[in-house]
Amino acid sequence: MNNVVCGNSDQVAAGDAISVHDFSEKILEQVIHFHVMKMKGGFFLWVGASPHLSNLAVAMSSKYDSMPLSTLVLGDPSDTAPNSLAQRLAKKTKKQVFVSYNLPSTEANLTLLVENRIKKEMELFPDKF
Amino acid sequence: MAAQPLIKSKQKEEIINGISTQVVCTEFSNYIFVVLTQYGKMGTLISVTPDSRTTDISTPMFTTKVLLGKDEALTHVCAKQLATFVSQEAGNRPVLLGLALKDSSIEGIKAMKDMIKSCQVW
Repeated sequence: MNNVVCGNSDQVAAGDAISVHDFSEKILEQVIHFHVMKMKGGFFLWVGASPHLSNLAVAMSSKYDSMPLSTLVLGDPSDTAPNSLAQRLAKKTKKQVFVSYNLPSTEANLTLLVENRIKKEMELFPDKF
Repeated sequence: MAAQPLIKSKQKEEIINGISTQVVCTEFSNYIFVVLTQYGKMGTLISVTPDSRTTDISTPMFTTKVLLGKDEALTHVCAKQLATFVSQEAGNRPVLLGLALKDSSIEGIKAMKDMIKSCQVW
Protein backbone atom coordinates (compact mmCIF):
# COMPACT_ATOMS: atom_id res chain seq x y z
CA MET A 1 0.00 0.00 0.00
CA ASN A 2 1.19 3.47 -0.76
CA ASN A 3 1.31 6.46 1.46
CA VAL A 4 -1.96 8.32 1.13
CA VAL A 5 -0.34 11.70 1.69
CA CYS A 6 0.41 12.75 -1.83
CA GLY A 7 0.20 15.60 -4.28
CA ASN A 8 1.58 19.07 -3.68
CA SER A 9 0.58 18.90 -0.06
CA ASP A 10 3.04 21.55 1.07
CA GLN A 11 0.65 24.25 0.07
CA VAL A 12 -2.04 23.81 2.66
CA ALA A 13 -3.82 27.03 3.36
CA ALA A 14 -4.62 27.68 6.99
CA GLY A 15 -8.23 28.16 6.01
CA ASP A 16 -9.20 24.64 4.97
CA ALA A 17 -10.33 23.34 8.32
CA ILE A 18 -11.85 19.91 8.76
CA SER A 19 -15.62 20.24 8.99
CA VAL A 20 -17.94 17.85 10.81
CA HIS A 21 -21.53 17.33 9.70
CA ASP A 22 -24.20 15.13 11.33
CA PHE A 23 -27.63 14.18 10.07
CA SER A 24 -30.12 11.40 10.63
CA GLU A 25 -33.19 9.95 8.96
CA LYS A 26 -35.84 7.36 9.76
CA ILE A 27 -35.45 4.69 7.09
CA LEU A 28 -37.51 1.49 7.14
CA GLU A 29 -38.74 2.06 10.71
CA GLN A 30 -35.31 2.74 12.19
CA VAL A 31 -33.35 5.90 12.78
CA ILE A 32 -30.14 5.87 10.78
CA HIS A 33 -27.38 8.28 11.78
CA PHE A 34 -24.79 9.80 9.47
CA HIS A 35 -21.54 11.46 10.47
CA VAL A 36 -19.36 13.20 7.90
CA MET A 37 -15.88 14.61 8.35
CA LYS A 38 -14.72 16.68 5.43
CA MET A 39 -10.99 16.84 4.86
CA LYS A 40 -8.76 18.18 2.13
CA GLY A 41 -9.42 16.14 -1.00
CA GLY A 42 -11.72 13.68 0.68
CA PHE A 43 -14.14 12.84 3.44
CA PHE A 44 -14.93 10.25 6.10
CA LEU A 45 -18.51 9.01 6.35
CA TRP A 46 -19.91 6.86 9.12
CA VAL A 47 -23.37 5.31 8.83
CA GLY A 48 -25.12 3.40 11.58
CA ALA A 49 -27.93 2.99 14.08
CA SER A 50 -25.72 2.60 17.16
CA PRO A 51 -22.35 4.30 17.82
CA HIS A 52 -20.25 1.35 16.72
CA LEU A 53 -17.33 1.36 14.27
CA SER A 54 -17.16 -2.14 12.85
CA ASN A 55 -15.46 -1.57 9.50
CA LEU A 56 -13.68 1.01 7.37
CA ALA A 57 -13.25 1.07 3.63
CA VAL A 58 -11.27 3.53 1.49
CA ALA A 59 -11.91 4.27 -2.15
CA MET A 60 -10.35 6.65 -4.64
CA SER A 61 -10.41 7.21 -8.36
CA SER A 62 -7.59 5.99 -10.54
CA LYS A 63 -6.65 7.12 -14.02
CA TYR A 64 -6.28 3.52 -15.12
CA ASP A 65 -9.85 2.43 -14.43
CA SER A 66 -13.25 4.09 -14.71
CA MET A 67 -14.30 2.44 -11.45
CA PRO A 68 -12.56 3.75 -8.31
CA LEU A 69 -10.26 1.44 -6.40
CA SER A 70 -11.46 0.35 -3.01
CA THR A 71 -9.98 -1.49 -0.06
CA LEU A 72 -11.15 -2.51 3.37
CA VAL A 73 -8.74 -1.40 6.09
CA LEU A 74 -10.76 -2.51 9.09
CA GLY A 75 -13.42 -5.14 9.67
CA ASP A 76 -14.83 -8.29 8.11
CA PRO A 77 -13.73 -8.65 4.46
CA SER A 78 -16.75 -10.83 3.64
CA ASP A 79 -18.98 -7.79 4.14
CA THR A 80 -18.77 -5.95 0.84
CA ALA A 81 -21.20 -3.16 1.73
CA PRO A 82 -18.63 -0.63 3.02
CA ASN A 83 -16.40 -1.20 -0.01
CA SER A 84 -19.12 -0.80 -2.59
CA LEU A 85 -20.58 2.28 -0.93
CA ALA A 86 -17.12 3.89 -0.71
CA GLN A 87 -16.50 3.05 -4.34
CA ARG A 88 -19.77 4.56 -5.55
CA LEU A 89 -19.32 7.71 -3.49
CA ALA A 90 -15.75 8.09 -4.77
CA LYS A 91 -17.03 7.80 -8.32
CA LYS A 92 -19.69 10.42 -7.68
CA THR A 93 -17.47 12.91 -5.87
CA LYS A 94 -14.06 12.17 -7.49
CA LYS A 95 -12.59 12.32 -3.99
CA GLN A 96 -10.88 9.99 -1.60
CA VAL A 97 -13.69 8.48 0.44
CA PHE A 98 -13.54 6.65 3.78
CA VAL A 99 -16.72 4.77 4.64
CA SER A 100 -17.75 2.93 7.78
CA TYR A 101 -21.07 1.16 7.14
CA ASN A 102 -22.60 -0.27 10.30
CA LEU A 103 -25.92 -1.65 9.16
CA PRO A 104 -26.91 -5.19 8.15
CA SER A 105 -25.69 -5.51 4.57
CA THR A 106 -28.17 -8.34 3.97
CA GLU A 107 -30.92 -5.77 3.55
CA ALA A 108 -30.22 -4.59 0.03
CA ASN A 109 -33.27 -2.37 0.11
CA LEU A 110 -31.99 -0.52 3.17
CA THR A 111 -28.55 -0.12 1.60
CA LEU A 112 -30.12 1.49 -1.44
CA LEU A 113 -32.27 3.88 0.60
CA VAL A 114 -29.27 4.82 2.74
CA GLU A 115 -27.20 5.57 -0.34
CA ASN A 116 -29.95 7.72 -1.79
CA ARG A 117 -30.23 9.61 1.49
CA ILE A 118 -26.48 10.33 1.40
CA LYS A 119 -26.74 11.58 -2.19
CA LYS A 120 -29.64 13.82 -1.21
CA GLU A 121 -27.56 15.33 1.60
CA MET A 122 -24.70 15.84 -0.86
CA GLU A 123 -27.02 17.85 -3.07
CA LEU A 124 -28.37 19.88 -0.15
CA PHE A 125 -24.97 20.53 1.45
CA PRO A 126 -22.28 20.05 -1.20
CA ASP A 127 -19.74 21.98 0.90
CA LYS A 128 -20.02 19.41 3.71
CA PHE A 129 -18.59 16.55 1.65
CA MET B 1 -32.14 16.50 12.33
CA ALA B 2 -32.84 18.49 15.48
CA ALA B 3 -31.89 15.57 17.70
CA GLN B 4 -28.48 15.34 19.31
CA PRO B 5 -25.99 13.64 16.99
CA LEU B 6 -25.32 10.04 17.95
CA ILE B 7 -21.60 10.41 17.41
CA LYS B 8 -19.74 12.76 19.72
CA SER B 9 -16.77 14.64 18.30
CA LYS B 10 -14.56 17.59 19.22
CA GLN B 11 -12.03 19.46 17.12
CA LYS B 12 -9.29 22.02 17.47
CA GLU B 13 -6.85 23.91 15.31
CA GLU B 14 -3.52 25.27 16.50
CA ILE B 15 -0.19 26.42 15.14
CA ILE B 16 2.60 24.14 16.34
CA ASN B 17 6.18 25.17 15.45
CA GLY B 18 4.73 27.39 12.78
CA ILE B 19 2.62 24.62 11.21
CA SER B 20 -1.16 24.64 11.18
CA THR B 21 -2.25 21.51 13.04
CA GLN B 22 -5.76 20.09 13.31
CA VAL B 23 -7.20 17.52 15.67
CA VAL B 24 -10.60 15.85 15.49
CA CYS B 25 -11.54 13.28 18.14
CA THR B 26 -14.62 11.12 17.60
CA GLU B 27 -16.11 8.66 20.05
CA PHE B 28 -17.47 5.26 19.04
CA SER B 29 -18.51 2.60 21.53
CA ASN B 30 -15.66 0.30 20.49
CA TYR B 31 -13.10 2.83 19.20
CA ILE B 32 -11.82 6.32 19.71
CA PHE B 33 -11.07 7.85 16.34
CA VAL B 34 -8.41 10.57 16.34
CA VAL B 35 -7.40 12.52 13.25
CA LEU B 36 -4.21 14.55 13.74
CA THR B 37 -3.16 16.33 10.61
CA GLN B 38 -0.84 19.03 9.32
CA TYR B 39 -1.87 18.36 5.72
CA GLY B 40 -5.64 18.65 6.17
CA LYS B 41 -6.12 15.04 5.21
CA MET B 42 -6.33 11.65 6.86
CA GLY B 43 -2.79 10.50 6.08
CA THR B 44 -1.59 7.22 7.53
CA LEU B 45 -4.17 5.15 9.38
CA ILE B 46 -2.92 3.35 12.46
CA SER B 47 -4.71 1.21 15.01
CA VAL B 48 -3.42 1.34 18.56
CA THR B 49 -4.76 -1.63 20.52
CA PRO B 50 -4.12 -2.47 24.17
CA ASP B 51 -2.96 -6.05 24.58
CA SER B 52 -5.51 -8.15 26.39
CA ARG B 53 -2.88 -10.03 28.34
CA THR B 54 -1.62 -7.62 30.95
CA THR B 55 1.35 -8.51 33.09
CA ASP B 56 1.50 -8.34 36.88
CA ILE B 57 3.17 -4.99 36.66
CA SER B 58 0.43 -2.58 35.78
CA THR B 59 2.08 -1.34 32.61
CA PRO B 60 -0.19 -2.21 29.72
CA MET B 61 1.33 -3.03 26.36
CA PHE B 62 0.07 -1.63 23.09
CA THR B 63 0.16 -2.96 19.59
CA THR B 64 0.36 -0.47 16.73
CA LYS B 65 -0.58 -1.51 13.25
CA VAL B 66 -0.45 0.59 10.09
CA LEU B 67 -3.75 -0.08 8.32
CA LEU B 68 -3.19 2.29 5.42
CA GLY B 69 -0.09 4.15 4.35
CA LYS B 70 3.65 3.87 4.67
CA ASP B 71 4.70 1.49 7.43
CA GLU B 72 7.63 3.32 9.02
CA ALA B 73 9.15 2.82 12.45
CA LEU B 74 8.67 6.50 13.30
CA THR B 75 4.96 6.22 12.59
CA HIS B 76 4.63 3.52 15.24
CA VAL B 77 6.59 5.59 17.75
CA CYS B 78 4.47 8.69 17.15
CA ALA B 79 1.25 6.68 17.26
CA LYS B 80 2.14 5.13 20.61
CA GLN B 81 3.25 8.48 22.02
CA LEU B 82 0.03 10.14 20.94
CA ALA B 83 -2.63 7.50 21.46
CA THR B 84 -1.64 5.38 24.45
CA PHE B 85 -3.07 7.78 27.02
CA VAL B 86 -6.29 8.10 25.00
CA SER B 87 -6.82 4.34 25.12
CA GLN B 88 -6.06 4.20 28.84
CA GLU B 89 -8.38 7.06 29.69
CA ALA B 90 -11.12 5.62 27.50
CA GLY B 91 -11.32 2.36 29.44
CA ASN B 92 -8.76 0.53 27.27
CA ARG B 93 -10.67 1.11 24.08
CA PRO B 94 -8.55 0.78 20.94
CA VAL B 95 -7.67 3.97 19.11
CA LEU B 96 -7.88 4.52 15.39
CA LEU B 97 -5.43 7.24 14.47
CA GLY B 98 -5.20 9.20 11.24
CA LEU B 99 -1.75 10.79 11.19
CA ALA B 100 -0.37 13.25 8.65
CA LEU B 101 2.56 15.12 10.18
CA LYS B 102 5.17 17.47 8.77
CA ASP B 103 6.87 17.82 12.13
CA SER B 104 7.55 14.76 14.30
CA SER B 105 9.86 16.46 16.80
CA ILE B 106 9.47 15.63 20.48
CA GLU B 107 8.29 19.16 21.29
CA GLY B 108 5.81 18.99 18.44
CA ILE B 109 4.43 15.65 19.56
CA LYS B 110 4.09 16.95 23.12
CA ALA B 111 2.09 19.93 21.95
CA MET B 112 -0.10 17.67 19.79
CA LYS B 113 -0.75 15.42 22.75
CA ASP B 114 -2.05 18.42 24.67
CA MET B 115 -4.28 19.25 21.73
CA ILE B 116 -5.73 15.73 21.75
CA LYS B 117 -6.26 16.06 25.51
CA SER B 118 -8.25 19.24 24.98
CA CYS B 119 -10.53 17.37 22.54
CA GLN B 120 -11.53 14.72 25.05
CA VAL B 121 -14.69 12.89 23.95
CA TRP B 122 -14.21 9.71 25.99
